[in-house]
Amino acid sequence: MADQTKQEHPYIGANIPIAQAALKATGQMIFTADMKLPHMLHAKVLFSPRPHARIVKIDTTRAEALPGVHAVITHKNTPNRFYNSCGEVLNEYMTEQLFSPVVRYVGDKVAAVAADTEKIAEAALKLIDVEYEDLPANYDPERALDENAYVIHDNGELERGNLILTVAQSSGDVDSAMAKADRVFSDVYECPAIHHGAMETHVSLAVYDAEGMLTVYTPSQDTFAKRRNLANIFDLPMSKVRVSVPAIGGAFGGKIDLITEPIAAALAIKTCRPVRLVYNRTEDICSTRNRHAMRLYLRTGVMNDGTIVAEDMRAYVNAGAYASGTTSVVWAMCGRLFKVHQCPNVRFVGYPVITNTTIGGPMRGFGSPQLFFAQQRQMNTISKALGIDMLELQRKNLTTQQGADPRNQLPHGNARPIDCLNRAAERIGYDAACAEQQESANDRYRIGVGIGVGAHGNGMYGVKADITGLMLKMNCDGTCVLFTPSNEMGNSSVTLQKQMVAETLGMPLGDIDCVEADTRLTPYQLGDYSSRGTFVSGHGALKIATSMQALLAEVAGRMLGVPADSLRFADRAAIAPDGRRVSLEQIVLYSRDHDQKELMCAESFASQAAVMSYGAHIAKVRVDTETGEVKVLSYAAIHDVGNAINPLSVTGQIEGALQMGLGNALSEDMGVDEKTGAVKNRTLKRYKMLYAGDMPRELTVEVLDSFEPAGPFGAKSIGECSVVPTLSAIGNAIANAIDAEVNNLPITKEKILEAIAKKTENKA
Amino acid sequence: MDQISFMLNGVQTQIQADKNWTLLYVLREVCDLTGTKCGCSTGDCGACKVILDGEAKNACLIKIGSLEGRRLETIEGLFHNGKLHPIQQAFIESGAIQCGFCTPGMIISAKALLDRVSNPTDDEIIEALNNNLCRCTGYVKIIEAVRMAARLLAE
Repeated sequence: MADQTKQEHPYIGANIPIAQAALKATGQMIFTADMKLPHMLHAKVLFSPRPHARIVKIDTTRAEALPGVHAVITHKNTPNRFYNSCGEVLNEYMTEQLFSPVVRYVGDKVAAVAADTEKIAEAALKLIDVEYEDLPANYDPERALDENAYVIHDNGELERGNLILTVAQSSGDVDSAMAKADRVFSDVYECPAIHHGAMETHVSLAVYDAEGMLTVYTPSQDTFAKRRNLANIFDLPMSKVRVSVPAIGGAFGGKIDLITEPIAAALAIKTCRPVRLVYNRTEDICSTRNRHAMRLYLRTGVMNDGTIVAEDMRAYVNAGAYASGTTSVVWAMCGRLFKVHQCPNVRFVGYPVITNTTIGGPMRGFGSPQLFFAQQRQMNTISKALGIDMLELQRKNLTTQQGADPRNQLPHGNARPIDCLNRAAERIGYDAACAEQQESANDRYRIGVGIGVGAHGNGMYGVKADITGLMLKMNCDGTCVLFTPSNEMGNSSVTLQKQMVAETLGMPLGDIDCVEADTRLTPYQLGDYSSRGTFVSGHGALKIATSMQALLAEVAGRMLGVPADSLRFADRAAIAPDGRRVSLEQIVLYSRDHDQKELMCAESFASQAAVMSYGAHIAKVRVDTETGEVKVLSYAAIHDVGNAINPLSVTGQIEGALQMGLGNALSEDMGVDEKTGAVKNRTLKRYKMLYAGDMPRELTVEVLDSFEPAGPFGAKSIGECSVVPTLSAIGNAIANAIDAEVNNLPITKEKILEAIAKKTENKA
Repeated sequence: MDQISFMLNGVQTQIQADKNWTLLYVLREVCDLTGTKCGCSTGDCGACKVILDGEAKNACLIKIGSLEGRRLETIEGLFHNGKLHPIQQAFIESGAIQCGFCTPGMIISAKALLDRVSNPTDDEIIEALNNNLCRCTGYVKIIEAVRMAARLLAE
């Protein structure tokens, strides 16, 4: 499937280190928490110790009297406008306030202090007297749907009770197909709340100056929506609100929502001084956002030959205490169910429900990891029950390059999950691994092989106006400045934009300076989320570079006396068919001095395609049946990203996704203490993310040689898709090793031993 | 306030600080050396690794009072006269850097290892990095970077 456009592109398909890598390697990269401004104050937040309570009295007198304290804010002296912290649903399901007279989870914000030092601010928190009147608390989404459950938000923003919205979609006739199926499989799957775990915690530095300008420096994936939200909350025109992103130390969806920003802003407005608010790790785990805990009921109807004829999923999604982007996550996961199988009869019903736990929000995969955990785990169960090898069962049911969404017949794009699967099987040595599994079936140490397939999108076309605006101007030495609304958060999205410009204008990457993500300095975009970095913003960069190339060609054509469209751009020059050339520098100077014209462009790119990215993972694990310990021996992750613009970065994304996915599968779990409502695993000692020594030593990460016609230079997304198949690959490998089902994540030693014991009991 | 003297990146340095403040706080807030990052404050993420008398340590767990007379190296000490250290070069070229927040701590852990062992095995590399968390890279290219750095240093 290699395409001719792959030829002779020095900057496309090259391994390019991430932009500003030298700053990151030397410690010179300035992250928000590294910034200090003159006269700056430090903030701390008082978090609720109660899961659900009315604040009947709050007295800040003693805190205010502490020397060094400059402001104490609560619901009594701050704006009370309702908002939704997630930009994707900014004007919907507005349940959150800067501070509320009701706290709705352990970790909810109660008050905040600005003081000369963080230590003084911390001391002041202890001097705030709060009297709570407890309200009934609910931590489970299904229980919170009960007719008699206490309604957590009563401001009229939700569908009914604690249900934010029913998300329902279907195609074909699920009920009659299910009735005609030879076998119907029905299981329940549970996924816990997951911490994003970006190494940089949430942080903001806010300034409110004498001109009435509010500036917030913050690591942000959704810079423009944050400005809009802040303008709404503080009733300011957008001309008086600036959101600027110095750098992002990891995000994974966790830095889409407005979290620390309005608190720092309110304190800055109150004190008229710069205020910096840095969450510590425990605050970051308990009081920001998390991957949604979900309970998924899945029924699949199958014929005896393995053909899936109906799929029916019901998802209970724990939104936590405020709506955030939960509906958006559930809509996204809903769509995915219609994107991987050929089966025409599919139904999804999702219930995003408010409870008294930490807030669920956007996270890498947007519900896909949970959805595919359930679907692919059940495929494995079906494979065993029907005695059809999992590889065969997958090949029989997976969508193909001709595949389309059964709801609307929209094509999936160049869908190649089967090619990914075949390559993964080849790379891991599937047959030999299965033989090992069989041979070890009665041993203490058992080998298990597990397959997981997953899909994810490429932007938000069809859901929202999926726009990226960019500006580009030439310097008079032939170099240029790109103004991009993206921030290089680690996934090489800005690096990729530079590659597009370098390729089109024939200049080295070092000739391109970049202004990133700042509402004052760059055009608007939808946001650095939804796997739109390559497919949409990358395409935007190609578009603006092409516009600039046309401007340069028009001038160069006149200079050389040849038609503009006969020129090609390489080696910092426009080159005529006869080999004569003018340098970019000469073109820019000619334009200024002769034409009296500055060479600059502004463009907006809107995505017009909803193609899918696919991947297949196969894991080989060893389970110690006496201790329950799991070792991932080898792992193959194969993805179709179309044409990989920067293979170094693409493989880096997949490898990183494995750290996250394997952790989610085996050890990560925020947990809720049923007695107190508090998050159980509040430190990195207890919330177990994987270290280098926990990763598989034999790891194959590859992408197909492929091309997506709708993408820039044939490229499509990888960031989110990469994490999607991991949970099921590991889950299936463990299930096959111990010949027992564990359907609730994470799959800990204890759960494995329990499953083995239960199986032994049943046999007896 | 206490007065504490130690060798900081090769320069004899004297600072005023409460001896109970953490080294991490002093580096970032007193010395303005913000290359050393804070990811947890509990010694679990390694973003604040520094080299103290030749050993990689988490600065968040060290009281500044204990620094008296000792030799400290931070990430800022590796970049000399506008020239990247070979380990930094290797991290860049290997694609070992994504968001960059864990990077200084990773490079410090790698340097403490390579100062001690010139040609480490993969097991030794993994052991040296096993208290550093990275949420972006899956460690694959970081391990590759340390291998490459060992080669560059041997040249």
